[in-house]
Order: sequence, then C-alpha cells, then structure tokens
Amino acid sequence: MSLPPLTAWLDAGKDASFSDPAACAARASKFERSIRLRNSIEYSAGGLMTLLFGASAVAAMFRSEWMIGISMFITMIGITTVMWNLRRRGSNLVRRPEDPCVVHLRSQYVRQFEALRAVPRWYLGPLIPGMALLYVSIMISVAEVTGWQQALRGIAWPVAATVALFGAIALINWIAARSIRRKIEAIDALA
Amino acid sequence: MTQTVEQLYQQAGDEFAPAIARLARAVERDAEKARDLEQEMHCALWTSLSRFKGDCALKTWVYRVAHNVAADHVARATRGPRKVPLEEIDTLPAAQNPESDAADALVLAQVAELIRSLPPVDAQTIVLWLEGESAAEIAAIIGLSPGAVAVRVHRIKALLAGHFEQPPKTGDRS
Repeated sequence: MSLPPLTAWLDAGKDASFSDPAACAARASKFERSIRLRNSIEYSAGGLMTLLFGASAVAAMFRSEWMIGISMFITMIGITTVMWNLRRRGSNLVRRPEDPCVVHLRSQYVRQFEALRAVPRWYLGPLIPGMALLYVSIMISVAEVTGWQQALRGIAWPVAATVALFGAIALINWIAARSIRRKIEAIDALA
Repeated sequence: MTQTVEQLYQQAGDEFAPAIARLARAVERDAEKARDLEQEMHCALWTSLSRFKGDCALKTWVYRVAHNVAADHVARATRGPRKVPLEEIDTLPAAQNPESDAADALVLAQVAELIRSLPPVDAQTIVLWLEGESAAEIAAIIGLSPGAVAVRVHRIKALLAGHFEQPPKTGDRS
C-alpha cells in the first residue's frame, strides 16, 4: 500500500463496521422470499396461459376443428417450453464475486449477451409453430366459407402484426446483444 | 486455512470496513441505497469467505468481492448517463452540490461524480488508487496487467493534477 493520493478521501467512513452475520442471514431469506414471489407470479401467468390454450384446444377438438385444436395444443407446448427455458437460464447463474473484477464483469456480460442473442431461439422460436398453424387453420376455415381471397385478406393484418411484433422483439434484443458484445470486446482489449 | 469464516470476517471488518463504506458511497449517490449496498457487500463477503483458501491475500479477496458487488449494483440500476472512459475525460465532472464551501468536500464530491461516470474497470481502478493501493495490488484485484493499471493511474493523476492549482499529495505507486 502506498501513500493515499487524497487524504480527505480516507477521512470518510472511518467509523464504519461490518454488518452482523445475522443481518446477512435475514437479508438472504428476504431475498429468497422475493425471488420465490417473482417466480410464483411468472409461473402462475405461464400456467394460466397454458390452461387457457389447453382448454381452447380441447374445446376445438370437441367441435371437430382438428387443425385449430392441434395448433392450440402446439402453442401450449411452446409456452411450456419458454417457461422451462426461463427456469433453466435462471438456475444456471453461479455467483463467484471473488473472481478478479474483469473476469467477473466479462462473465456477466457474456451471460447477458448469450441470453439476448438467443432470444429468437429460446423465447420466440417455441411459439412460432403453434401460432403459424393457428393462422393457417383459421384461414382455411374462413376460406371454406368466403373463398381464399377473402380469407387471405382477413388474415393478412393479424399475421403482419404478429410478424412485426416478433421481429421487433428479436431486433431490440439483437441491438442490446450487439451493445454488450462491444463491452466484452472492450474488456478483452484491456488485458 | 486455519482461520474460521467468523475470524476472517472479523479481520476483514477491522481492516476494510471503512474502505467498503467509501466504495459504496462513491458508486451510489443516494445515502440510503449506499448503506444498503454496503450491507450487500458485507453479506456477499460473509458468504464467499467459506470458499477462501488463502490463494490470494485477504485484502485482494475483500476488494474483489466488494468491487464486483458494486459493479453488479451499477449494472442493475436504471439507465444513467452514458459511461465515458478515462481517456475521453479532460476535466472533472461538476458535482451535484457546486455551492459547497468546503473545498475538500467539493473535490470529493467531484471525484465521486467522476467515479459514477466511468465504466466499471476505470471506476474500480480509481477507487483502489484513492485507497492508496499500488499498481501491482490493483492489478491483482481487478485482473488487469500492472502495465494497463499504470496507464489508467497515470490518466487519473493527470486528470486530478489538471484540476488542482496545486497537485494533490501523491504517493509512489508505480
């Protein structure tokens, strides 16, 4: 240790002391409670969606609308897959704050980068087959009554809106991933 | 490893509690949040010490944990102004309280403002330098080469020296 460059800096915080370990235990349990609450909200929302699509699938099957029923069922599987992916990604997080700072920082950035870059695969991808089949099913049903031209015209806007929404989500995440990649490159250039 | 976690935590507290308090206050302007961040650092340290095998100095371990928790806190915080690397900064940023009549307090406020405006690695370097750590010690904590740290310390010194009419009292930290 060398002479401090600004003595006034070291004058601050002289009376500080470490927290009691019991306070840390209380803090940890409070943190765990908040994580449990957040997880239960997310799983409840996902469970509700799964139930809705599952019930819709069964109802469609009873009406002999087989394609719509199957598309609802595939969408339900897609939602379950997204929830599973969320859980898997969350539980993969290993905290090692004692690593050298650049190693810690880089690993945090890499984790964020990979999660964002892969959003089309793990978040959007599982929903696409069910949604696509649902639109095709509806279009065929409408075409049987009104003809293909009318059916195509009717489905165009909902499909365009869905594609735009999915595209926007993918684009926003890709831009964020690119920004984080630049930070990773900056860290690599430091060493 | 003969010391228990409790003993290590006690020792770390005796030696580094003020430095951790200063770090928390430097990266978090809000006093209440700074106190919460300080406790988060203590708790991360308490948890991590069960993994301490003496492969590095206790000081290095404590600073790594504290600075990494601080960096995570900054990353979690809502988006602030764009971070500007040291090499792009010519003057100290204005403090939040420019009317302060205490010169030291104003300087420290400006330095804290500088720290909050820097990317994590630059901020970590400047805080450790202010704590009086040498380039070699800073390099061990952050994980950069001593040369890379020396370059950053040189920039910090130039920045501060340019700000003061009389350069601040400096130690030998090469």
